[in-house]
Parts: sequence; C-alpha cells; structure tokens
Amino acid sequence: MRYVLRRLGFYLLAAWASLTMNFVIPRLAPGDPATAMFARFEGRISPEALVALKTAFGFTDAPWHVQYFTYLKHLLTGDLGLSYAYYPSPVSEVIGTGLLWTLGLAGCAVIISFAVGTMLGVLAAWNRGGWLDSALAPALAFLGAFPYFWLAMLALYLFGFGLGWFPLRHAYSHDVEPGATLTFLADVGRHAVLPATSIVVATLGGWMLSMRNTMVAVLGTDTLRLAHAKGLPPRQVMLRYAARNALLPNVTGFGMALGFVLSGSLLTEIVFSYPGTGYLLILAVRNQDYPLMQGLFLVITLAVLAANFAVDLLCLWLDPRTRAHA
Amino acid sequence: MRDTLRRLLRQRKAAVGGTLLLGFLLVALVGPWFVMDPTELMGQPHQPPSSAHWFGTTGQGQDVLAQTVVGARETLAIGFAVGALVTLVGALVGITAGYLGRRVDDALTLTTNIFLVIPGLPLAIVLGAYLPSGPFRMVVVLTFAGWAWNARVFRAEALSLRGRDFVAAAVVAGESHLRIITRELLPNMASLVASSFIGNTLYAVGAQVGLEFLGLGDVGSVTWGTNLYWAGNDAALLTRSWWIFVPTGICIALVGFSLTLLSSAIDELTNPSLRAPPKAPSAAVVHAVASPEQEAATPGALLSVRELSIEYMTQAGPSRVVDQVSLDIAPGEVFGLAGESGSGKSTLGSALLRLLPSSAAITHGRILFDGTDVTALSPEALRAFRWSRVSMVFQSAMSALNPVLTLGEQFHDTLAAHGGNSRASSYARARELLSMVGLKPELVDAWPHQLSGGMRQRVGIALALALEPRLVVMDEPTTALDVVVQKELLQRVVELKERLGFAVLFITHDLPLLLALADRVGILQAGKLVEVDTAQRLRTDARHPYTRLLLSSFPHLGAADAPTPSPDVLEQATSALKPPLAASPGGRR
Repeated sequence: MRYVLRRLGFYLLAAWASLTMNFVIPRLAPGDPATAMFARFEGRISPEALVALKTAFGFTDAPWHVQYFTYLKHLLTGDLGLSYAYYPSPVSEVIGTGLLWTLGLAGCAVIISFAVGTMLGVLAAWNRGGWLDSALAPALAFLGAFPYFWLAMLALYLFGFGLGWFPLRHAYSHDVEPGATLTFLADVGRHAVLPATSIVVATLGGWMLSMRNTMVAVLGTDTLRLAHAKGLPPRQVMLRYAARNALLPNVTGFGMALGFVLSGSLLTEIVFSYPGTGYLLILAVRNQDYPLMQGLFLVITLAVLAANFAVDLLCLWLDPRTRAHA
Repeated sequence: MRDTLRRLLRQRKAAVGGTLLLGFLLVALVGPWFVMDPTELMGQPHQPPSSAHWFGTTGQGQDVLAQTVVGARETLAIGFAVGALVTLVGALVGITAGYLGRRVDDALTLTTNIFLVIPGLPLAIVLGAYLPSGPFRMVVVLTFAGWAWNARVFRAEALSLRGRDFVAAAVVAGESHLRIITRELLPNMASLVASSFIGNTLYAVGAQVGLEFLGLGDVGSVTWGTNLYWAGNDAALLTRSWWIFVPTGICIALVGFSLTLLSSAIDELTNPSLRAPPKAPSAAVVHAVASPEQEAATPGALLSVRELSIEYMTQAGPSRVVDQVSLDIAPGEVFGLAGESGSGKSTLGSALLRLLPSSAAITHGRILFDGTDVTALSPEALRAFRWSRVSMVFQSAMSALNPVLTLGEQFHDTLAAHGGNSRASSYARARELLSMVGLKPELVDAWPHQLSGGMRQRVGIALALALEPRLVVMDEPTTALDVVVQKELLQRVVELKERLGFAVLFITHDLPLLLALADRVGILQAGKLVEVDTAQRLRTDARHPYTRLLLSSFPHLGAADAPTPSPDVLEQATSALKPPLAASPGGRR
C-alpha cells in the first residue's frame, strides 16, 4: 500500500509539474504571444469582451502568483478556457470526444502491438538464430525506422486510395447513426483497421527487440538451468519460467514508452483525419489556438500519467517482490 | 579505445550502418550542389518520375529529387546537433546526480522522472508554439523534451562507477569533483556516450520530422519533415502522387535504420551475451562417438562415466574442458569431486543431466546410468530422465528458484512434469519435503525472496529429493553460505542420505570438506581426473603430486584426521575450512 501511495504521490507531482509548465511557458515566451493571441480576437468581439476573455484565460495584470492560483482554480473546476478555432466552445468540450477516440485507437493498437511484439520476442529468444530472430527481427526494426505517420500515409495510399479496401478518413461513416448498434461498431472497426495497423507495424519491432534481449538475459540464469534440470516441458520453461521473468522489466519499459508511442499515434490520426486529440492538435497548431493546444497538452499528459499508474499496478500484480515492499 | 573501434568495424552490423550513414552525410554535404533549386517551380505539378525530373515533381511543381537531397542537409544537421546536445545535458544531469548523491540526486532524479512520464510531442508542441520559428527553435524544443531518458542512463552508470576503487581513490586523494568527473568518470563512459549519442540522434531525427509534419517547423525551409508536410498539404495521396512522399520516407527510414544498426552493434560489443553464441561441435550432440570397450558399465555401479570429453566452442576454437574422464558411483555412495575453478568439475556435473550450455557439447564417451545411456537419450526421454533419476542442487539456489512463483507452485511444476499429480497432492508432498529439510511446511505458500539464503538452499535440496532420485548432483551447494549454515545443511544432507539411500556426487573446491563427507574422492585437474581413491587413503597416502599440492594448501588438515564421515567430523571439517575459504580465489564464481 505504501508503494502505491508513493507512486500516486509521484504522479500527482508530475501532474502538478506539467500544469505549472503549462502556466509558465506562455508567460516566459519572448514576444508576448498572449497579446498576439488576443490580437486575433480583435474585431471579432468587443473590447470589453476582450478584457473579460483575457481575465477568463488568466492573463491579467495581476501579479504572477495571483494569476497562478486563478489558473489552478479554473483547472480544478475543469475549465480549460475557450477554444479560438471553435470559438466560443470551451476547450474541455472540444477535447472531450476527441480523447475518447484517441484512447480507443491508440489504446487498442498499443496493447495489440505490445502483446504480439512481446510474444514474438519470446519466440525469437527461445529459438535464437532461427528465422524469427535473424529475419523477422531486422525486418521489423527496419519498419520501425519509418515515421509512424509515413507508414500511415503509405497504408492509406495502398489500401485506401489504391485498392479501396478501407475507408479513407474519419472514425465512422456519415450515413451510419452513432450508437451501440452492431452496424456502427463494425463501421468504427473498419475505420480503425488502417490507422491501428500502421501504429502496430511501426511499434512491433521495438517491443519484440526489447523482449528478446531481456529473454536472452533470463535464459542464461540459474532459474532457467534449474527449470531445465527439473525436466519441465519446454513450453512451460519458456512461458512460466523465462517469459514470466523477462516480462517484468518489459512492462516497466512499456510504461515509459507510452508517451512516445502516443505521440506517434497522434500524428497517425492526422493522416487519417481521425477525430482524436492528434487531429485537434494540428487544428490548434494551424489556427494558433493556444488554449486548445495547452488543454490538449494537459489532457494527454494526464492520460499518460494515469496509464503509467495502471502499469505500476500491473507490475505490482506481476512481481511478488515489489508486492512485498508495497 | 582503438581496439574497441577496430572490433566495431569488424562487425557486420556496424559496417552496414556506418556505410549507410556516411553515404547520407556525403549526400547532405555535397549533394545540394548537384541538384536543381528545390524551391523553384520547375514545371507542371504532380508529374510522375521522368527523365527531366527523376523523382517527379511536387504539388507545386518543384523537383522532388532536389527536395530530397537538399532536405538531408538541415535534417541531419539538426538531428546531430540535438543528438549531441541531449547527450550533453543528459550526461551532465545524470552524472551530477549519480556522483554527488544525496539531496542533489533526489532532486535531479525526481525532475528526470517527471520529464520521463510527460509525453514528449505535446510538450514540444506547446513549447514550440510559443517560440519564434527557425532551426534554433527546433533544437531547443527537442532538447527540452528529450533529455530525461539520457540523464537516467548516465545516472545509473555514474552510480556504479562511483563505487569502484579507482574513483574512491581519487576522492581520498582530494581531487576536485570536476576533475574526477572529467578525468575518472567520463573516460570510462566512452561507449555509453557513443551509444547515447546515436540513440539521441535517432530520436532527434524522428521527432523533428514529426514536428515539421505538423507544421511546427519552418515551413519555408527544405527539410525531410517539411517535404512530408507539403506532401500532405498538396494532396499527394488524393492525386495518387506516391513519388512525392515515398523518397523522403525511405531516406528517413534508412538513416534511422543505420543508426539503429550502429547502436545495436555497440550494445553487442559491451554486452556480448546478446550476440548469437558460437555453435557447439554438432556431430556429437545427439550421440557420442564411442569405442566398443567403453560400452560396458561396471557391474553394480549406479553411474558409469566412460572416457567422457566435453568441449566448449570459443572464439579461439574448441576448448576441451573435460578430458577422457571415467568414473563410477555405487548406489548410496557419496562421491566427492574436487578441483580448482575452471578444472571442469561443474561442467562434468552438469553433463550428467545433459545440462550443458549450447556452446558446449559431449564430443566423446558415454554416461551410463542404471542401464540408461544418458548421452543417447532423445529430448523427450531426456526430459523424463532429468530429476526423476538424477537431480541437482545448485550453488545458487538463492537465484535458481523462480522469483515469481511460490514454492508450492515450483514443487507442483516439478511433480506434474513427471506424472501429473493434482495440485493438492503436490502441495501435500511439498509440505512433507519442506519439513524433511527442517523448514516449516507453511512456507509452501511463500515466495523465494521471503527466505534467507540458507533457507533457499534447503528448499533446493527438498526440491532435488521431490522425485526420490537415485543420484543427487550437488554443485558447491554450500559455498555461498556462511559457515554455521553450511554445517547445519551438510548434517541434514548426511541424515537424509542415510534415510533415503540416494547417492551423491558432491562437487566442491574444498578438499577438507570432501575428505570428511565423501566415501571416495576424485581430483580433477584441467579436465583430467588425476586421482580417485577413498577419502581415507587420500588423506594419508595421496599419490598424485597435484593432490598433495591441494592437500598442503589446507594447513588445518592434519588435525582433521578422522576416519569415516559422521556429523562430528563434519564439524571439524567445516570449522577447518574457514581460513582456506577466505583465501581461495573467489570460489566457483
């Protein structure tokens, strides 16, 4: 329990740090981008409304610490300000549905990729020098060297535009009514195939290689010698003795790579005009919609922190040694 | 250092990766002088590759080849700059934290960990959006978002070097922190610096391309990322103009792949176990060559080893570790095998269960166990043979138990693999075995990390007896334990042996211990069995000079002049072995 609380404390601290960076960066930046941003509103709304808006965003003439606490107060009530691109929609509303699509797409892709990549790594290490190890691993490493979004472009080009097997954009067809119907879910699935596959293909090699390398290290340990000496069936030795032990450092690595993989999948969304947070991010960048950008940064960061906490809990469940200290 | 470099070049991965990367550097350096102006509108937009434009034209009519070649320059320049800067910042933070320790370490490590969990791209976007555009922005943003991983790696390295003698000596000598860091620590991190630099450049190229694709780069300049940004903007997909985005993507991947190859080559250099092991001489693995006269086992013997030779495949060629060894062990006998580290005694012990590493193989001779030719067993027959007929106690039972399974599960796996007991009956048997070695039966639900070293070694013995084998190989089972625990454990082994009647092959470098414990003792020197005799005769009348040398290196031996092994003799032997144990060169590793 102490371990869980300590981890939780760490993530809260990390969350606070990212909130604070979010506050400090616009105010430290040269050229007063805040004014530049509000300049874009001019002509669209009255000067009084502009002052009110500035106050709402927390950009006032008040001293920094007052601004900071106003900012924190707004965040705590879920108020991320107003989007410029979708003015006058609040940022939280704009992000809301986008986050769901991102979590669905990236979440599924990452879990599939980790599971398959880990299993391939186990097999490659077990049959060292076999074709999995000497042919598939380098091939996947080569694929992993392509930017995710480039693979997405290629997949879209070949299977979307070229062969016409899959839809070209968006998360579901316009003529399908969203709801818990089988038609809708099938449609969502069809739309997710290409983006998810390109994320899986781009990341598979990384998981495979790291699992393979930890497996190789575990295979040389006395735990494995004893398992072989006991005459256990090979499959049991491979899974319950070798893979089970090699999995622990890999799951920790999984948590650490989550942010990186998510970043890549955000770019993939853009290629497919997938209505997730990545797509919103590019909208925000192109329209210089700073509130939306910052809101996205916060929401994505918090999601990654939560996922990391979940991974910690998973490690706890997997490793009796950590559990003992918990 | 030069030697390292030479070994690196000899590796295929490093050679391929280095050549690729050098090629791209050359293109980036001189290529732009040989191609057209990448920004000028040369012709019709969206033209496929032709003799005028080898890679076709972009959506605005620019030459794709020129854009690809010129794009290499800024992309690689920023990539290497960020790679170097991230390495520098990471090393600085990491080494400071690892070297200074305490509060500084706490604070820096916390900061590092926080930056590690904050996703890089959104952070880079927020930061990038507020900074003025240009290559400088890209460098700052990417360094800020990417330094943390490095700091973590360098901290771990600094922490491990900090504890080494030469650093401690420099600290005692009163050298300044800065001098110690630059003169003692950094030179010892050369390979880490190199692999970090490569890894960071890889990160920098990828992240840079991603940010530029988003439009956060300088969209007016020509880089690989902006090429892809314009490809997206000018509807390259919609117009089926694959040639606009394919060349740039392949270039990015090739640069990335070359960097991956280089870094994995460096990893393999520092950690040779990742490399594919040298293959053992294969002819002998399945069935050893044997002459007819060695077929016969000694009548009445439980185990007969006949002219057994084992070779390791090393880089320098085959190396014979066990050389024409023949020995017999009778039912219920305790046979001691003594010899220095590297004499081949552990290899010989492992061979009885055919537990050799993949780089070693039996090249000659036979192992006959109770009518079974162990050297000729099929994989499935071997699996069934192991543990049910011959089991083994490792020196490292503390690390040999599976840390993620409870003891009960490990007993159950063992029992189930040899005849399929129900879990309940396995657990009952496990409790019985645990109390047999003097442990509480409730420990069946404990995890290995909850036990002390001595307790784990008892578990190792209980596990070895689970299937009531007729021979137990004990490979230095007590070396890692302190003297009091050793004594208790050996007494337990002797008692159990009397009760259950199994034979023991006891392997150790402690001759006095063997002389007290074993019925007969074999002396192994450089893979050859130089002398075999009863413990009693060896003590007084060793013939081989090497045996006499071994005996004379234990000064207290004269006192332990008792006949047969019994618990009270053990006491003398184990107390006698204390000084030589400390003096022996590191035990069995």
